[in-house]
Amino acid sequence: MTAIARRDLLAALAALGAMAPGLARAADPSPLWAGSVPPGALRIGQAWLADHPGLDAAALARRLAPDGWSSATLEKLRLRVATDFRQGRVFRYRGWRLSDTEGALFALTALSPS
Amino acid sequence: MAFIDARTLPADSRIEADLIIIGGGMAGITIARQFAGGTVKVAILEGGGRDLNDAAQDLYDGAGATVHAPDNADRPLDDYPRNSRARVLGGSGMVWGGKCRPLDAADFAKRDWIPHSGWPMSRQDLQPFYDRACDLLEIPRFDGTDAKDPDRPMLEIGADFIAAPVVFTKYSGGVDEAAFERFRTAFADVPNIAVYLHANVTRIGLSKAGDRVEQVDIACLDGPRHTARAGRYILAAGGIENARLLLASNDVRPEGVGNRHDLVGRFFQGHVTYSVDETAQVEGSALYLTAGKPMGRYLNPDRRGAHSVIASALPGQQRLAAGNFTVTLYPSAPPGPKVGARGEETVAVGQLAQRLDGAPAVLAGCFLMAEHFPNPDSRITLAPERDALGMPRVKLDWTYSAADLDGLERTAAHFGDTLGAAAKGRFCWPAEREELIALSSASRHHMGTTRMHADPRQGVVDPDGRVHGLDNLHIAGSSVFPTSGIANPTLTLLALAVRMSDHLKPQLGAAR
Repeated sequence: MTAIARRDLLAALAALGAMAPGLARAADPSPLWAGSVPPGALRIGQAWLADHPGLDAAALARRLAPDGWSSATLEKLRLRVATDFRQGRVFRYRGWRLSDTEGALFALTALSPS
Repeated sequence: MAFIDARTLPADSRIEADLIIIGGGMAGITIARQFAGGTVKVAILEGGGRDLNDAAQDLYDGAGATVHAPDNADRPLDDYPRNSRARVLGGSGMVWGGKCRPLDAADFAKRDWIPHSGWPMSRQDLQPFYDRACDLLEIPRFDGTDAKDPDRPMLEIGADFIAAPVVFTKYSGGVDEAAFERFRTAFADVPNIAVYLHANVTRIGLSKAGDRVEQVDIACLDGPRHTARAGRYILAAGGIENARLLLASNDVRPEGVGNRHDLVGRFFQGHVTYSVDETAQVEGSALYLTAGKPMGRYLNPDRRGAHSVIASALPGQQRLAAGNFTVTLYPSAPPGPKVGARGEETVAVGQLAQRLDGAPAVLAGCFLMAEHFPNPDSRITLAPERDALGMPRVKLDWTYSAADLDGLERTAAHFGDTLGAAAKGRFCWPAEREELIALSSASRHHMGTTRMHADPRQGVVDPDGRVHGLDNLHIAGSSVFPTSGIANPTLTLLALAVRMSDHLKPQLGAAR
């Protein structure tokens, strides 16, 4: 299940790249984090998980993409991020003020095998 | 008449003029310039000389200064009364960085959630005088033109935050010494202006009835003493010294001059910047911008062209029960991928924000400023200790309320959320409430100690700057500000000085 989540996340983030000219191409799933996963992403994800015990990769994948990963996932994530900020669902990590959805994305990254 | 060293005058000289200005700083010089070349005889009494020197600066030593705030340890700032001022011709203009910004319209408003807020004038009322102050400093007027600069677009994140323009003048000692030298001296090269240097005013002498100033006493360090008389007087010695001189002149009225309602010295407001330095482990105060357009308006280290800080607008202030708030950005090198925990995490935040927001993420350093609410317990008092001229030294209790810190924290959080919700970036503010005072840096801005209000029970001076209850004493400078906003006060105090000059000219028989 974890491996599936990882693959799905790769696809979703590749789709993000497709939406942003000059970034990762949709056909190339490898540049999840513009190359390798930044070690910092794993630490941020682990911190978010510490605040949300009991969640595993599958649960996170359902939460982030309940309809499955597709090219539309990016836009849905953007809306969720904006809604999080507007409604105060914020994850603070060492001063960074992030949306809860971003925290969950970091967490899913941390739970996914490299 | 130009410049006269008061130390060289025979002892007990009497200086006579139509208008005496106590203090040759930015406010005093600006008022004198309005009368230059006319028929009104003006005398400036400046305690310092043309150059900074320790003996004059010693007169500014305080007898203690402490910042107090709830949830924070008291912070001693004992050197602040000395180091935040310059007793010299040109005053703090000698060490000013030249940053000009008018107060925002919201700063003038009566804000029910901020006790003692509200000016007896609006930004619109003051605008013509801001324009003239800008002309004096040879900077563009703040008329909105800069907002149209196509190369410097604004960061649009909603109605709660605006781009507040900033301009830098060359007429400051910290920017262009030669230009400032002309500014502080050339105005006096006319017959009707005399500038007395090393002329320390030690007493404002009231009539027996206490309703007007009859003379001021002058002392020179290790030198003679004199007196000066005029029909009208303007106290323009600075935000701390104005209060000190009024309180110390207590021979006729024991509470001092203009202090019937115990307001002189109270409501001290200062500006501080709040910033956090990065460490190996934690990013400092910073933000990622993902606006997808040039951010040179905000990241403008050369200070040329349109330049803005991000400021909170009135609707947001009201909703958050907060005061003004600004975020000032400066360029920051992007963290390398191998610089350890902090850099790796900052990179990760930027990469995800870039993907979600759909535009490259640019890292910028930042510092915050938050309005200091008017507070009667934030005050200057006189201490038993005395300086070399026998004047009591000041004690400063710079006091914040919980509302000040609440407003800062709420607005900082709201700024981060607004930036993220607009998909224009992410904000890093790694400061805890109990360390806010420790990580703040005090500016040289002293405001509020002779506040302006139409009601004598709520203000030391009336809306024209005249001391309530006195016929012929006005006060110029940032001490009259009822609220302090965040803008550097010099431009506003110059605008008020021009306005006061217009007000006084007919009374002195001068053409406006």
